[in-house]
Amino acid sequence: MKNILRNTFLVSYVIVLLIGQNVVAQTPSATASSSPTVVVDKDIQQLKDKIANKVSEIRKENNKAISGFILSVDGNNMKLDNTGDVNQVKFDDTLTKAFKVLGTTKKEIKTSDITKGDYAIVSGVVADNVITANVVLIDENFLVDSGKITEINKDTYNIKVLTTDKNTYSLDIETGTKQYMINIKTLAREVIGFSKLKEGDMIHFVVKKTSEQKNKDHSAVKILIIPQEYFIK
Amino acid sequence: MKKETITAIFFGLLFGGIMAVFISLKSKDIELSKNKVIAPPKEKSSTNLNGLEMQPLEISEPANNAIFEKDIIRFKGTAAKDSLIVIQSPIKDLVVKNTQGKFDLEFPLALGENSIKIVIYPKEKQFRPQEKYMKVYYIDSEL
Repeated sequence: MKNILRNTFLVSYVIVLLIGQNVVAQTPSATASSSPTVVVDKDIQQLKDKIANKVSEIRKENNKAISGFILSVDGNNMKLDNTGDVNQVKFDDTLTKAFKVLGTTKKEIKTSDITKGDYAIVSGVVADNVITANVVLIDENFLVDSGKITEINKDTYNIKVLTTDKNTYSLDIETGTKQYMINIKTLAREVIGFSKLKEGDMIHFVVKKTSEQKNKDHSAVKILIIPQEYFIK
Repeated sequence: MKKETITAIFFGLLFGGIMAVFISLKSKDIELSKNKVIAPPKEKSSTNLNGLEMQPLEISEPANNAIFEKDIIRFKGTAAKDSLIVIQSPIKDLVVKNTQGKFDLEFPLALGENSIKIVIYPKEKQFRPQEKYMKVYYIDSEL
């Protein structure tokens, strides 16, 4: 009995001694100099910077941009028609910023100002096929293509263009259409009038597209002609 | 249960387990070695009636659907020597002669989406023009 009691006491003593020593070791010394704290602070700051950089890198990697005509807007959700594919977009009240592009400038708008049929460019992080928008830009949609002039109607100021993928476009040349031709010697771009266009010339054009437009009749924003003489010189 | 039976069950489980792990690893190796990389066929250079070959248009930069924080990018790639390069977007028309075969051209971007068409007109008139179409985005970092 005596032995048991003695051993119990001995074991208890050893345990108390060990735990006590650990606790004392973990308690910061009041007399310790401030330099280790500064080093720790610096390390923490470096770690924070590293994490911030990594987060920014991952965000950049996962950052995608999509564009298309808006099919529907419902609260914080929007559906885009991205050339046949439907993309889901989510607005985040604290994160998403929306702008309307006005030429070379932009004006901040509310996401509630975005309407069906607008052309939207969305940048954000994609997860589970849903893009959480960081930025939404409402802009105009331009089509850029090229082909050969196959027909010129001088009465209606209209031309027909056959592209290499066998699409035929009907382009109206308006007074506001910027018309240029390449100088075959200098390759400089020169301003021209409608009368300079010839069947057989190569044409590069820019047109505006709207959500309602389904055919290939457009009003040209800009045309650039490579005259056929360039190819026979 | 007899001691011999327990020993037999123990060793049976041990060897069975080792064998199962070995077979599983081996079959994975065989499967991996059988797999072949599926890659799109390399773009063939076009050949004309005289058997002349033309270097295909290749654009190394920028990538389609790339996002930029600057409003100026560079088009880098290769195309047939002495061909005419036309790069067009709604805000810029760039026409240059590709004297070197390689090209590295500065091109401005508009805020948001930039639809860009690149067409190469070869010097040899019997070849067809080569075209590429891409969209790149300029999203200002301050937005």
